[in-house]
Parts: sequence; C-alpha cells; structure tokens
Amino acid sequence: MRSAANTAFRFLRQLGRRFWRGLREWCGDAAYERYLRSAVTHSGSSRTLTPAEFYVEQLNRCYSKPNRCC
Amino acid sequence: MKRIFGIIIWLGIAMLGAGAFAKIAFDRGEPLNATWFVVAATCCYLVAYRLYSAFVAAKVLALDDTRATPSERHDDGRDFVPTNKWVLFGHHFAAIAGPGPLVGPTLAAQFGYLPGTLWLIAGAAFAGCVQDFVILFCSIRRDGKSVGQMAREEVSERGGFIAQLAVLAIMTILLAVIGLVVVNALKSSPWATFTLAMTIPIAILLGLYLRFVRPGRVLEASVMGVALVLFVVVAGQWVADSPSWSRVFTLSGVALAFSIIAYGFAASALPVWLLLAPRDYLSAFIKAGAIFSLAAGILIVRPQVLMPPLTRFIDGTGPVFAGKIFPFCFITIACGAISGFHSLISSGTTPKMILRESHARFIGYGAMLLESFVGVMAMVAACAMPPGVYFAINSPPSIVGNTGDAAAATISGWGYPLHAQTMAELAHKVGEITLWNRAGGAPSLAVGMAQIFSSTIGGERLLSIWYHFAIMFEALFILTVLDAGTRVGRFMVQDLGGRVWKPFGRTSWMPGVLLSSAIIVALWGYFLYQGVVDPLGGINSLWPLFGISNQLLAAVALVVATTILMKMGKLRWIWVTLLPMGWLVTITMTASYQKIFDANPRIGFLAYAKALAAQIAAAKIPAEKIAETQRLIFNQRLDAVVTGVLAFMILVLIVEALAHWYSILSRRKEIVLHESPYVATRWASDFSGTAHGDD
Repeated sequence: MRSAANTAFRFLRQLGRRFWRGLREWCGDAAYERYLRSAVTHSGSSRTLTPAEFYVEQLNRCYSKPNRCC
Repeated sequence: MKRIFGIIIWLGIAMLGAGAFAKIAFDRGEPLNATWFVVAATCCYLVAYRLYSAFVAAKVLALDDTRATPSERHDDGRDFVPTNKWVLFGHHFAAIAGPGPLVGPTLAAQFGYLPGTLWLIAGAAFAGCVQDFVILFCSIRRDGKSVGQMAREEVSERGGFIAQLAVLAIMTILLAVIGLVVVNALKSSPWATFTLAMTIPIAILLGLYLRFVRPGRVLEASVMGVALVLFVVVAGQWVADSPSWSRVFTLSGVALAFSIIAYGFAASALPVWLLLAPRDYLSAFIKAGAIFSLAAGILIVRPQVLMPPLTRFIDGTGPVFAGKIFPFCFITIACGAISGFHSLISSGTTPKMILRESHARFIGYGAMLLESFVGVMAMVAACAMPPGVYFAINSPPSIVGNTGDAAAATISGWGYPLHAQTMAELAHKVGEITLWNRAGGAPSLAVGMAQIFSSTIGGERLLSIWYHFAIMFEALFILTVLDAGTRVGRFMVQDLGGRVWKPFGRTSWMPGVLLSSAIIVALWGYFLYQGVVDPLGGINSLWPLFGISNQLLAAVALVVATTILMKMGKLRWIWVTLLPMGWLVTITMTASYQKIFDANPRIGFLAYAKALAAQIAAAKIPAEKIAETQRLIFNQRLDAVVTGVLAFMILVLIVEALAHWYSILSRRKEIVLHESPYVATRWASDFSGTAHGDD
C-alpha cells in the first residue's frame, strides 16, 4: 500500500516537473538557458550574449517574420 | 489478438462518430444537445489522424527519422532549436490559432449549424491539415525555407513573386477586417473599451520589467500581467457605471477605427520589447485559458443548439453577409477548415525547431485538427443562443431597420421570434448599452461564451463579467495579430522599397521605419475606415474579400506542395494535394466572380456601385450625402479591382504550374528537387531533446 502510494507520488512529481519544464519552454521563459546549452555557444566562435541582449535580439528576430496567424 | 482489438476499437470510434453525425444531420425534432457536436468532431478527428494522416506520412511523404532535421544540423540556440514535440505542438498551435476560427464559423452560422460544421470537420481533415503537414514536411527538407522561397525554386520565379504578393494582399485585408471586428465589439461600450485600452499600459509595464528588471522571465511577468488584466475586466464595470468616465470611453466606430490605426502604427514603430511582445505573452496565456475553458464549459453545460440545421438564408439573402452556401460558406469559414496563412507558419519557425521528421504529422496535421475543433466550439457557442438574438446582433440596420421594434418585427418575420424588449434585457444583463447591429462575430460569440461560462460559474449575476472577459479575450488576441501583422507588413514594405532605394530597406533607419509603418498602416487603415462607414455593415464586403485572399494563399501553398510531390516521383498520390487545390481554386474563382459581377447589389461590388450611382442620378440622395455616396461608389469599385487582381494572380499561378507540370511529366526538363542533402541523424532513436532540457 505504502509502496503504491510512493510510486504514485513519484509519478505525479515527475509529471509536474515535465509540465513545468514544458510550460517554461513553451512561453519562452527557458529560451536563454536553451541558448547557453546550444552548440554555437559551446563552440566559442562568438561572444555569449547577456540575458538582456539575448532577450532583445530574440524578439527582434521573432517579430520580423509572420509568427501569428489569422 | 492485439491487432484485432485495435481494429474493434477504431471501428467503434468510427461508428460512434458516424452515429453522432447522423444525429446532427437528420435530427429535425427537439433542439439538439451540443454534446453531439463534440462527439462527432472528436471521433472524426481521431479517425482522420489515425488513418489518413498515417497514410500521408507513410505512403505520400515517406517520413524518414534517420534523416537529421534542420534543428540538428544548424542548432544555434536561436532560430534552429531542437524542441520536444509537445512543446513545439503548443508553439505551433499558439501561432496558427487566431481569430479566424472563432469569427468565421460564427458568421457562417447564418446558414444554420449544418453546412459550417460539415465543412469545418471535412475541410480540416482533407484540406487544411494536409496543407499544413505537407508544407511543414517540404520546409523541413529545405532547411526551413518559406513557402515563397519554395515556390520560387520549385515552381517558377513568377510563382514565388505571386506568393509574396498574395502574402502582402492577405495581410492588408486581414488586418483591416480584424480591425473592423474589434471596432464592432467595442463600439459604444465603455466597459469593453476601457478594458482593452488598459491592456496597453499593462503591456508596457510588463515590457519594461522584462527588459530591465528580470530580462526574459516571461512566466512571472505573464502571471502578473494576467492578474492585472483580469482586474481591469472587473474594474471596467465601475468605469461604465461612472457617468463622467463612461463618456470618456464611449467611442463611435470612426473614433475607434482611428485609435486602432494609431495603435498599429505605434506597435510597428516602437521597439518590439516595449509593447508588441509583452502583449503577445498576455494574449497567449489568455487565449489558451479561454479556449480550454470554452471546451470545458460546453462539456459541463451541454447547451442546447437552438439554431436550425439550415436557415432560410441558404438562398443567398442572409443579413450578415449576402451569398449562397456555395461558395460563401467556405470562403467565410476559411481558417477553421483551411488557412493559407498557416503555410507561412509551417514554413517559418516550426520546421527549424522540429526534432524528427515523424513529428511533422503530430504537429502539422494534429495542430490543425485542434484549430478546427476551436471552430466547432465557436459554431456551438453561436448556435446555442436563440436565432432571433443571433440575427439581431449581427444584422446591420440597413437590412433589419433602424429602431429596435422595426428590427424585431423584421427578424420575427423571417421566422425567428424576437421582441425588442428581449434585446434590451440581454444588453442590460451583459452590461452593454445596446447589442443591436454589432456585426463581426465577436459580440455574438461573447454572448454565447458568457451564457456557457455563467451556467458553469456565477449564474446570471456574473453574465456581464463573463461577457466582457470574452470580449477582452477576443479583442486582445485580435490586436496581437494586428500589431504583429503590421510589423511584418512593415518589413515587407521595407524589403520591397529597399530594392528601389537601399537606405529604405535598412530596418534600423528611423525615417525608413516610420515611413514604411505609415504605408502599411495606411493600406489596411483605408479598408478599415471603409468598412466602418459602409451602410451594409462592412463585414458584408470585407470578410469575403479576406476569405478569398486567404484561400488564394492556401491554393498557392497547395500548388507548391503538388509540384514537389510530382518531382519526388509521387505521381500516384498527388491527388492528396491536387484535389483540395482544385476545390480551393473553384471556390476562390466562383466567389471572386460573384463578388465582382453579381447583379445583386448586396453581393456584386459593381452592381452596388451602379445602384448608388443611379440613386445620385435620380436625385434620391440628399445634397449633403452626395460626396459620401461618391466615396462609397469609389470604394466598391476599388474592392472589385482588388478581387479581380487576386483572381488574376491565381489564374497566372495555375497556368504557370500547369506548364511546369507538363514539362515535368513529358520529361522536357530535367527534374531538379531543391532538397537539402541527406545527413544521417546522430541522435539515438529515443532522443527527445534531453540535452536541451526537455527530459
């Protein structure tokens, strides 16, 4: 009984974590972390942007092409 | 055994869907319960996804998961980002779901619930989802190239140019028509106008927070923003109750049109982080919340559908917009079944973020099915109110009469009983001065949503709050499309102008920014103003024009898709894109012809212009109205020219494509497929973005 409750709790906790991560990815909250993990940043070929620089640069790119539909 | 069990399950789903459809189509007795719509749509979507999309994925496109996608080959953490398929589904759906699937079905409800519902479901399964899926696949195979670039490379230079022009045309008309929807939703409504106006300072506050205080912390900023927006929805009631403040926020249609034009200009010219992006964050959360709440509300309340399956207006005499079911039901539904604009998203951000080719089925086909479901819910919300109320809200006074009593008598005469008192009471309950003549779909949808929400929480006491929440939700995300569209339009104008004079093309050069913003705003602002002052209500001429341009762009995308399938040697399966393309060309051309040449002044632009000119010649127009009438005549002729140009573009593209297909089939030309070369994926088969934080 107790182990079933533990399994259920672990499952729910994992589900909650996944949902939270998915939500952060979806709304753009995790964009800078993703950028830091990307291959280009690791290659060291260009200067890594600060969070504020990255935020503005990302918005300018995003809103220069159709990104919202009718 | 497992296989047999699977077959039995799917047969059960198919039979349940067929039964629900039969109930919707043939029931002529008691009012129908909305649950039948949900069951019919869900079963059809499940079967379409399980069978048809699987067939397209396996036989037609032959998706290959061993092939590295652009996100793997070009991973830069900015444009090319490997993304978990559920997250990308959310991104893609948020991008494609706009006001179209809410407004289109609401307007098409004037034919009754049946034609619109059938087209929403069948059109999505066989046309809209296929377009989104195939274009997404084609773009993945071409490093995320846009539909315009693919048209240029795979069809012809001219094909690409037509695609670009179609995008600009659809953008202009789209922005005008959605602006008109907002004007009609806010007209003479201090509560709604105040609520929407307050979203601007809230967005600026959020913009400053995200730029200077906590850069990029979208989630926490959005939570604060949504709380503030919900507060101003409630606070709007106090403004409406205060005589002095109420006067400030009670605006006429023309005043609202100019306010929206000024807002569009500001959003285009100001830095994107200050106003546009934070509004988009707010809109995305409220949109997702409102759509899920509507679905839950329909399932909990299970409202009765009071609209008949077919109304008398299938003969083309509809008060909301004139024209018969064919082609106008299809042109009006537009985005809920198939939207050309989706091809821009499917060949924009999504292909650069997709992890594997097989995800294209879930994201491309699946997200469009969900959008179609939103359309079905809008249809249910519109049809759940008494038909008399629906027609009272959506009909212009030139059709039903200028006074409440005259309008009620006209609508009752159509067979949809209505008392003027009913409308006055309803307006009072939802906190509005009047609900007469509010064409555009937004107010009637808001009334439908408010009735569903208030039956779940709060009862009639909260009807006015729910109504204004629904209006705020619709207007907020319509304005998000409007400001993002104006900005993209500005870039297009700068791109075109930059070919003539280089400095104009520089997106950081302020005079160029201001001038290009003014040009794009003037383009759609003119059509918006024209719609606001149109005695027939504006929607009557602008929405079909929008539908035609939208379906034209879908036809362009399907021409590109068909050409690529042909080049891939999939001749046996090209009917998958060729049939929807043929259907779209047929409805676009028929609607264009009727909108230009029909003898009925309510349908044909030229006939309306001629009728107005005849009235001037017969001295039936008062002297002070002659200049206004002449402007109206000019506008009708302009609409006819715009429609003619759109129809001409599709004809040129078809001729161009046919010539190209002939040279492919007769092997007169060497077949060149502009796909990126095959690169094997380095990711394991169970990789789902772990390295990128997706677990």
